[in-house]
Amino acid sequence: MNDTGAARSPDEALVRVAGLTKEYRTGEAFVPVLRGVDLSVFHGEMVAIMGASGSGKSTLLFILGLFLAPTAGTYTVLGEDVLKLDRTTQAKIRRRFVGFVFQSCNLIENSTVYENLELPLIYADVKRRDRHAMIEDALARVNLSHRMHHPSNLLSGGEQQRVAVARALVNSPRLILADEPTGQLDRKHGQIVMDYFRHFVADRTTAMIIVTHDPEVASYCSKVYRLDDGAIVS
Amino acid sequence: MLGHENRTLRPFARYQGLLCAGIGCPGLVAASLSMAGCDKFFDLLRVSLRQVVRQRRRYAGVILAISLGTCGFILVLTVGQDVKHNLNRDLDLLGGSTRMRVNLEGDYTNRGLIPQPRWFREPTLDALRRIPGVRSISAVALKGSMAVATLKAGEQYFRLLGVDGAFWEVNSFIATSGGFFGEDEVHRRERVCVLGRQLAQQIFGTQDIAGRLLPIDGELYVIAGVLGGTGIAERADYAFIPLTTAQDRIRGLSLVDCVYVRCQTWDDVGPVAAAISKVMDTFQPSDRVRVDVAWEQLKRVQRIAWWMQTFIYLSIVATLVLGGMGIWNGMMAAVQARTREIGLKKAIGAEDRDILIQFLGEAWFLSFGSALLGIILGRGAVQLVSHILNSPPSEDLFVLSVALSIVLSMILGVGAGFTPSTIASRMEVVSALRYE
Repeated sequence: MNDTGAARSPDEALVRVAGLTKEYRTGEAFVPVLRGVDLSVFHGEMVAIMGASGSGKSTLLFILGLFLAPTAGTYTVLGEDVLKLDRTTQAKIRRRFVGFVFQSCNLIENSTVYENLELPLIYADVKRRDRHAMIEDALARVNLSHRMHHPSNLLSGGEQQRVAVARALVNSPRLILADEPTGQLDRKHGQIVMDYFRHFVADRTTAMIIVTHDPEVASYCSKVYRLDDGAIVS
Repeated sequence: MLGHENRTLRPFARYQGLLCAGIGCPGLVAASLSMAGCDKFFDLLRVSLRQVVRQRRRYAGVILAISLGTCGFILVLTVGQDVKHNLNRDLDLLGGSTRMRVNLEGDYTNRGLIPQPRWFREPTLDALRRIPGVRSISAVALKGSMAVATLKAGEQYFRLLGVDGAFWEVNSFIATSGGFFGEDEVHRRERVCVLGRQLAQQIFGTQDIAGRLLPIDGELYVIAGVLGGTGIAERADYAFIPLTTAQDRIRGLSLVDCVYVRCQTWDDVGPVAAAISKVMDTFQPSDRVRVDVAWEQLKRVQRIAWWMQTFIYLSIVATLVLGGMGIWNGMMAAVQARTREIGLKKAIGAEDRDILIQFLGEAWFLSFGSALLGIILGRGAVQLVSHILNSPPSEDLFVLSVALSIVLSMILGVGAGFTPSTIASRMEVVSALRYE
């Protein structure tokens, strides 16, 4: 147990996992990937999860994103056990509560920047007349307003990642999950993206969990968890 | 253990409460939840349409196949009947399978072996013309004895037939030189004649005799033309004059006891043959009638036409099936190629049904768009064929074929796109995101 939010009660946590275990089946054998992970994330926190390849970082992120079901353990969002929800309801939570940023191949091909940002709003049933302002706002946060109708595949790598960040922010999620968000960027653009995140989380209504190898990225975070062989060691 | 399979379904109200009470985005959530799903559905279709338009090159083969299938379907349905009539006429030249001869038989009952003459009355002929499936009829009368043409070289004997203006068309005859006399000449009782090509050759040594004069039974007739074409073998040594002229001027001419009937298509022959007997029973009940139909030829022609029709329909079905398989194959390939995209969409909140709608929408737009193109091509083809056949297309049939094409395209698109779309919608997010 490495919950460092000791100053606050775990009941106040935005996200809380306890005893989280995940095993993958390989033939007849079960391979443990996560071994009893406990974690609490509060509003306004940026949390980094670091660890070697194969330590279970991404698996943990996928479980937090409700992409994967754990083998055992609990996962609560504001006290509600979200693992007990059905697949459709989990999708609804995902699109209204969670924003994702991946390491690469983040954008939909054959689409403009606007269309990429519009998709999560379509899935969330946001009215058409409200979408433009929301997209404009999200793009303004990452200084890409001038690229609104640009084909996404013609953007530079840095711009593509910023569009991905804007898309993760467009429907004002409460929790942002990022998997190596600066992995494909140079140092300068990496810093820019992290600054966006820090600025976004600073309003204290949002929390962010970042999976990273990069100590510089981790330095932006208020808490750093280290995973080793599926268990949090520090 | 809390696998997906063990989760219990939670009431939506609780989820709604979770969002509104705790997560703290009431404006967005309330707005979202108050929306009917209508906007979303049409937006997903819009995204599908956009994908099809932007990836049209990938689907070019499929679009072409469905378009051509639809075009063929519309063409067959709209001008098929006209083509059938023309085919009927052309095949008929080989055998006269849709022509029948109706003869009145003499009455032998009370006069020993001397038959009493019988003839078709005008009301009977009118009734025969009105039988459904009858294209035209022709009444003829034969001179009982040989007619004679007195020439410098000597006398020439031949068979003489009084015919009406429809005779040529009913029998599919054509003129090898000159022309035929028509209803006008028959009505004016003119002294014109047409010679069979063998008779023309015998008398003049040539067939180029239009406008020349021929004395028949002591009176001069202007030669209008020479009869040729297929199926004139038994008439090649005959001379033909207007029925009215013959009735006025030729001695020994029979009454009209023979009528030729031409049907619209070979499908009409049977019903028309049956109807003729009924008409005769109604209008001339005491007369016996004999209807000669070339049944064997008719069967052969029908068999040829059936094979042709079957071949055409199979071609259209094959094209449409290939188009459907193309959609299926194209969509399967698209699902595979866009696996990461599907994972990404699910990661940003797409439900299974959103993905299903999107891919099913793409398949449907692909099929529907191809059908629209096929309809345009079909209209052009209908105009072209109608121009060639010199027969205006039936607008009702065209509209019907367009409606059927649209319905078929919907069925094809949804049917062929269903499996790939279902596969896409059921993808697991993690495996889709990790797909290389």
